[in-house]
Amino acid sequence: MTNHGRLQVAACRLSAASTILLAFVAGLPGVLRAQDLENGKALYDKWCAGCHGMTGQGDGPAADYMLPRPRDFTFAIYQIRTTSNGELPTDDDLRYIVDNGMPGSTMPGWKDKLGPGDRDDVVAYIKSFSRFFEDGQPEPVAVARAPRVTDEGLAEGRRLFEEEVECIKCHGAEGRGDGGSAPELTDDDGFPIRAANLTENWTFNGGGSVEDILMRIRVGVDGTPMPSNGDAIDAGIITEEQLWRVAQYVRSLSPDAPPRRQDVVRAAFVEGDLPNGPEDPAWNDVEALYIPMVGQILEAPRWFAPAVDGLWVRALHNGEGMALQFSWDDASASPDEAWDPFFDGVVTSMVAPDAPHLEAQGPDHLAVQFPLTPPEGTVLPYFLAGDARNPVYQIRWRSNPDMAEEGTATGLGTFASGTGSDLTHGAAFANGRWQVQFTRSLTASDPGVAASFTPGESMPMAFYVADGTNAEDDVRGAVSAWYAVYLDVPLPPRVFIAPVVATLLTAGLGLVVVIQAQRRST
Amino acid sequence: MKHLKHPFTQAVLLIVGSWAFFKFVIPLFPGSAPVPQSVVLQFTLIAAVGVLVYVSENEERWTQFKAPITATLVDANKKWLRGGLLTVIPLFIGFVVFQAARPTVGSTAQLRSIHPAPPGQITFQGRSLALEGLENPLRSRGSLEEHYETGKAIYYQNCMPCHGDLLDGQGHFGHGFNPTPLAFDRAGTIDNLQESFVFWRIAKGGPGLPREGTPWNSAMPVWEDFLTEDEIWAVTMFLYEQSGLEPRTWGEEGEEHD
Repeated sequence: MTNHGRLQVAACRLSAASTILLAFVAGLPGVLRAQDLENGKALYDKWCAGCHGMTGQGDGPAADYMLPRPRDFTFAIYQIRTTSNGELPTDDDLRYIVDNGMPGSTMPGWKDKLGPGDRDDVVAYIKSFSRFFEDGQPEPVAVARAPRVTDEGLAEGRRLFEEEVECIKCHGAEGRGDGGSAPELTDDDGFPIRAANLTENWTFNGGGSVEDILMRIRVGVDGTPMPSNGDAIDAGIITEEQLWRVAQYVRSLSPDAPPRRQDVVRAAFVEGDLPNGPEDPAWNDVEALYIPMVGQILEAPRWFAPAVDGLWVRALHNGEGMALQFSWDDASASPDEAWDPFFDGVVTSMVAPDAPHLEAQGPDHLAVQFPLTPPEGTVLPYFLAGDARNPVYQIRWRSNPDMAEEGTATGLGTFASGTGSDLTHGAAFANGRWQVQFTRSLTASDPGVAASFTPGESMPMAFYVADGTNAEDDVRGAVSAWYAVYLDVPLPPRVFIAPVVATLLTAGLGLVVVIQAQRRST
Repeated sequence: MKHLKHPFTQAVLLIVGSWAFFKFVIPLFPGSAPVPQSVVLQFTLIAAVGVLVYVSENEERWTQFKAPITATLVDANKKWLRGGLLTVIPLFIGFVVFQAARPTVGSTAQLRSIHPAPPGQITFQGRSLALEGLENPLRSRGSLEEHYETGKAIYYQNCMPCHGDLLDGQGHFGHGFNPTPLAFDRAGTIDNLQESFVFWRIAKGGPGLPREGTPWNSAMPVWEDFLTEDEIWAVTMFLYEQSGLEPRTWGEEGEEHD
């Protein structure tokens, strides 16, 4: 071989080697990325596609049964961000939602199911549905620290809420999502969307802390009518401190902690008259039981997107009669023409799996039920309106025409009206909240129609609520499991005598021991 | 350090220590549960008796042990301590008695077995179906992948609101029901069951539970009103695939369901 030939071979080898090296160096990130995406895709297909669809378009098998619907990742429009209005979210923003879910929606958090690396891979795969993410990451908005919460600050927050920032237009005067514009709100895809109920911060999609609220107000919730205040800050119309005041005021509309689940509400004994209406101030001091309400998805026609998610129940009795007060958030007193756009939106966007949708708004409904006869042992009637063997006694109210009736049922849709007590009722609607009171004698005049209540005993109790503007009626709505009401009795004397006797006995015994010991020692 | 060597301090520390162990440490053992109050009391009493036997077994130790007690009862300079104890202990006893005598508001305890005994045969949509020895027919027919996808769609459209995306029984409606929906994401759930058992529970739901062992109060719907036989088998298959659990087979000689 000539020198020239050797040189050629060497050059060839060198270039081949460098090509391989170059390819390896250049390809390294690509290889890693492909692995992330492969794992992300496998996890996504298994756990996310049921709602968000195999191609990320928010069209999985469950999507038509949900309102709000699952996110369409191909548009890369994300509600919960720490970046400016109209910008992409950061990886941390996406990871936050994957980790914690979106309370108040059907999106669960995954941090107990998938490891941190897996969740990163899912985020990487979700981003791959849109080319927008190829241009890199935007910076989160820098936010100054919150001012201290003060009474003046909250009052300022309220003023801004009502006037400058105009939150009131959609969220309503008391924040229950009943503002004048609320009935016509739609998201960017044209689906109806509710203004958040600001009195339930545990249902806020992006979290319920003051910091979470501030960020939503600051950068907006993209894809929804919730605007950003970034421009207003830039233009000097409003300051960041003022936005903090709004956020603090909004946080103050919810209780410190979400309501705890309890099983029994105590009907305290009162001397004399029972409250004479649902708004009677006497109710303010009465302990309330919070009942989580969920969709009636047990019997046809099922309802997957109930409007009412909780009900507060109070009870009092005076030995002769009892009063029950119910309070729940509902943005409208149905039927309400102003809410026709919302009703139409629900009907066109939700699949009706078992029966056609209603054609027009009906009234709002409330029902409370008890076993018609005290349960034998621990067997209760079927919680969904009883069963053939174990009928239930129901008190039912509807908003329009405003009426209450009582009767019995042996299953969903089997209500038979009757008169078994001296039932009266009152109902009031204000600022996105219904308050209803039922009053009746403890003893039924006809035990075939109505249940009787005995002080000192627990009575099982279950509930039903429906919102007419949400295309609900007396079977499509929200249900609860069994709870109970306990009618208090005045404490019997032995409750006070026994401890006194025990205290005196113990003290006497102690004295005897001391005296004996002292006598022995001297 | 001097105090720690004293038999009285040691006895008190041992008794309090064993109470704390029964109350707080035992529940931390894997697979353990909080110890009922009465059992904690019993165990602590036994520990106390043991300690007393040990202390009184040696004359010198016994005298030492008694010394601070006698001092508290007798010594003139311990007058205030004596008076304090004579007030606090009776008041505490009175408080305990008041707590016990006061009527408490509570719903009745709901005892139930998790897995009822399945019937030998059921009537499914008007047809008789023998459950005993029944296998999932879809496992020997068609494409497993297609059955899985069918089952997945059915699960997401019907079951997910209660049983959850994570199969943890905590779907967005799960908290509304009592008992809460069953989880399928851990050992000790559907891996204890044959597929025919799962089929039966899905087909008949809460209302189809046997009368024995009530109250069930299950909110599980009667799915034969909504789904076909193949659809129920498909969603059964999906549950095992998605959770990674294996169904129990008929070949296994196993203990009875509990």
